[in-house]
Amino acid sequence: MNIVETRGLCKQYGQAMRVKQLNLSVPEGAVYGFLGPNGAGKSTTLKMVLGLAKPTAGEITVFGKHVNPHNRIAILKQVGSLIESPSYYGHLTGEENLRIVQTLRGAPEKDIQEVLSIVRLDGQKGKQVAHYSLGMKQRLGLAAALLGFPKLLILDEPTNGLDPAGIQEMRELICSLPGQFGMTVLVSSHLLSEIDQMADHVGIIREGELVFQDTLAALHARSRHHLALRTTDNGEAARLLGESRIPCTLEEGYLILPLLTDADAAKLSRFLAAHRVDLLRMEERQKSLEDIFLELTGKAASL
Amino acid sequence: MKLLRLEFYKCRRRRITLICAGILAAQLLWFGAYLTRQDPEDLAQGWMLMLYNLALVDAILLPVGTAAVASRNCEIEHKGAALKLLETAITPGRLYGAKLAWGALVLLALVAVRTILFTALGVWMDFPGGVPWGRMGVFTLISWAVSMMLYALQQGLSLRFANQAVALVCGIFGSFVGLMSMLFPVWVQRCAPWGYYGLLSLTRMNWDEATRITDFYWRWPEPVDVVLLCLWAAVFLTVGRTLFVRKEV
Repeated sequence: MNIVETRGLCKQYGQAMRVKQLNLSVPEGAVYGFLGPNGAGKSTTLKMVLGLAKPTAGEITVFGKHVNPHNRIAILKQVGSLIESPSYYGHLTGEENLRIVQTLRGAPEKDIQEVLSIVRLDGQKGKQVAHYSLGMKQRLGLAAALLGFPKLLILDEPTNGLDPAGIQEMRELICSLPGQFGMTVLVSSHLLSEIDQMADHVGIIREGELVFQDTLAALHARSRHHLALRTTDNGEAARLLGESRIPCTLEEGYLILPLLTDADAAKLSRFLAAHRVDLLRMEERQKSLEDIFLELTGKAASL
Repeated sequence: MKLLRLEFYKCRRRRITLICAGILAAQLLWFGAYLTRQDPEDLAQGWMLMLYNLALVDAILLPVGTAAVASRNCEIEHKGAALKLLETAITPGRLYGAKLAWGALVLLALVAVRTILFTALGVWMDFPGGVPWGRMGVFTLISWAVSMMLYALQQGLSLRFANQAVALVCGIFGSFVGLMSMLFPVWVQRCAPWGYYGLLSLTRMNWDEATRITDFYWRWPEPVDVVLLCLWAAVFLTVGRTLFVRKEV
């Protein structure tokens, strides 16, 4: 079952279409990494799922229920969220901030101490949040999202502002949530490496469009080894390979083939030479996840 | 009730009491300074004189006072981007209502304490004719109602604009307009929301040009002014709430 589903979700600001026909499917119990460069529409999408922004078109289903203004709050009782920067009252202490969220969500009072200890803020709970570092505020935001231990956690760039150790801690915590509390986590990031280490499902968004959605394993499968050939006549070589039922594509002056055994590679070079097509280069290549991400998003800036 | 309690909880350490105490102190100082300039025979109309002055000082202090109180309550939502979190747990309409109810209670406490203080002052000064309890009660209600109408305006501004200077400048402008409008004909006062403290005042002053003697007399507010006050309040409330509810966070 999908915990979150969107169908044809669109959001327009002025003349700009920020989210276009988005069909998101977040399976239950998954850590779903929502990946895309800055400004791709990740936060806007997550805000629409939470009802903080109104979709221009499309449907949103959470826990199998179609979300509308009348049932939104009831559905969101089972959803914790941290969108963009953490929300807090600077003049109140960390504990007082959590008490407000706990009261609003109707969560048990004991959850406050529990979530404070999960995010390791129990030693700082009496300090005014205005005096917290950005990393501590981020952890407080996560603690607030965890109150009531909701079924779904929506985290928008949760590692922003954290130091390397904090990022590592946050990753470990997010990865542990499905197993420990049975939560589904929808987490966004513009960092491929981060999603690679946290998620088991991935959605990649580019300029408001979902360009990839599958398991992380399926994304990794795209990075398998392949052969790249350059010949004196690539067109003729492609025709000959096609006749021999060897799939190939032409990319930037190279013919891209599946990886062959040594014996098959030797046979191929003889076969081409016999047809007066000389082999100039034969390279074994592997696409990195970054290459695939760049191919899909067409952007390098945020990497 | 839960949301209203939370509003009070959120306003801990926001020095709301200090702001209210400041307003009361300024009113006491104003009236105290005024009394020192009066002859004993002027104090024969002490209660009328008090309510006349309070309406005047309300027109100066309460527009900026309500702006400050509304701003202290609404600013906290902008400062820590709290609306993103709150609006996943409650509808913006209910939040708006809770904030308005909080403002209503704070302002009610302010004007009630003010009435108690000034009544005690009148008794202590031995103003003749006994305490006009009914008029003191009605005056308290009028001060609160006009302040609430202005609070609806100020809350709308404070929630709409993250920069609280907009709301505070409006309050300062209101204090100026409130005072100045008393010098203009009634229809001009009716057009200025801040002028209703004077418009609904329970006392009026007569000044005899020949004898150069002033005396005060009781009056009741015109029903049309009460209706207009409600209309202003309804407009501020509806517009402010609609803008807040429609705003995406």
